[in-house]
Amino acid sequence: MTIPADLKFTKEHEWVRIDGDTATFGITDHAQEALGDIVFVELPEIGRTIEAGEAYAVVESVKAVSDVYAPVAGDVVEVNEALEGEPELVNSDPYGAGWIAKVTIGDGQVELLNDDEYATFLEE
Amino acid sequence: MTELQKTPLFDAHVALGGKMVPFAGFAMPVQYTNGALKEYTFVREGGAGLFDITHMGQVRVSGSGALDFLQYVTTNDVAKLAVGQVHYSALLNERGTFIDDITTYKISDSEYYLCINAANRHKDVAHLQAQAANFDVSVVDESDATTLLALQGAAAQAALQPLVDGDLEEIGYYKFAQVQVAGSAGIVSRTGYTGEDGFEIYIPNSIANDVWSKLLAAGAEPIGLAARDMLRTEMGYALYGHEISDSVTPVEAKLMWITKLDKGDFIGRAAAAARKAAGPQKRLIALKLTGRGIPREHYPVYVDGAASGEITSGMHSPMAGGVALAYVKPEHAESGALSVEIRGKQVAAERTTLPFVRSNVRRN
Repeated sequence: MTIPADLKFTKEHEWVRIDGDTATFGITDHAQEALGDIVFVELPEIGRTIEAGEAYAVVESVKAVSDVYAPVAGDVVEVNEALEGEPELVNSDPYGAGWIAKVTIGDGQVELLNDDEYATFLEE
Repeated sequence: MTELQKTPLFDAHVALGGKMVPFAGFAMPVQYTNGALKEYTFVREGGAGLFDITHMGQVRVSGSGALDFLQYVTTNDVAKLAVGQVHYSALLNERGTFIDDITTYKISDSEYYLCINAANRHKDVAHLQAQAANFDVSVVDESDATTLLALQGAAAQAALQPLVDGDLEEIGYYKFAQVQVAGSAGIVSRTGYTGEDGFEIYIPNSIANDVWSKLLAAGAEPIGLAARDMLRTEMGYALYGHEISDSVTPVEAKLMWITKLDKGDFIGRAAAAARKAAGPQKRLIALKLTGRGIPREHYPVYVDGAASGEITSGMHSPMAGGVALAYVKPEHAESGALSVEIRGKQVAAERTTLPFVRSNVRRN
């Protein structure tokens, strides 16, 4: 299981890519593996203001419904509409085509881990 | 917490990457490495899906009073069963509500075989043994010695045939034969819980791993509980603890077709008949979301904006979308605008007919 070095991670198994004042959110490979086949993603509304640690999306696998929490605060500027038709992208490409939402970064973040720290966290 | 029971195939499941979860007191595979969706697709699209359903219980009823006994403790008309035939039936209590739903196999005029739900096994056996005191009959729980496999899908017959003596083609739908399976005595019925052609195979535990590996070698693939639940929900088949329970009677559960009020007295008959005459307290409907989302068990169902009931089984069907079974108030069974509350929002739905997707079971 590869963990991209350019991302930050949460202990809830989300990732965030910070690029200037924009952040892209998704769930980690470990998370999609644990959830199993994802069959539905509920995306946030564009313009919604999300607090750090707030549940901003829902992913549903065959058997389970799981909240997805925001690594950093922000206002939603873009959502991955492709997931409405192909939620399985979260399984097949969790760090790429399976991204969930983009925000303009606001104030506040949860504890973020780098790739090495996240790898260690997974081992524990 | 009591330790989970393991079926004789536990190690085989783990070796295949089975994700083991607690289910009715057993450690059972919810899915294998391919995942539930691929397993589901394999069964629906022509494969032979192999399920370990050894958690289910088996009871042998024998003696000169077997027919009278089963007429009294089960709802369906056992006098109509021919030797080699199976039917769907139920055990009711005196209140007319469900102790369990079962299948009854007629082996001979004085010997029958019941397949019962895992979660209800001890309750059922205690009930049957208590009732047996009034009949010339013996009731033996054979569950611990019996492995039950289901082999389901269009390729099931071809995969199973080399392992059994006798021609499977001659076993019709809801019929069975006592055959040699890999050299040991077993029962093979053309029954299942998927809506595909296929078999349920009762064998002694001693040959469980041999039969399992031979079926895999013949092209069968292992299927876990998650895909099994998808397959059964798409057919609208009732599941104990969901559509049926000790708080509903046959008329609510749409199971009057297995409740033969005119066959003579049986436990629960008077109460079930009275409820039917008075009208059901709620009614089971099939619904399909027209809005986006997945309807899931216990989500509230609204009719014309007012709470009416809740979902008992729901899923995302790859073929039919968001589908569910739900109980609603009797007056809402056929009319009124339906919606399902999903995370606080109303999502529009419509009534539909069962099964949600086409059944491919053999018709004869």
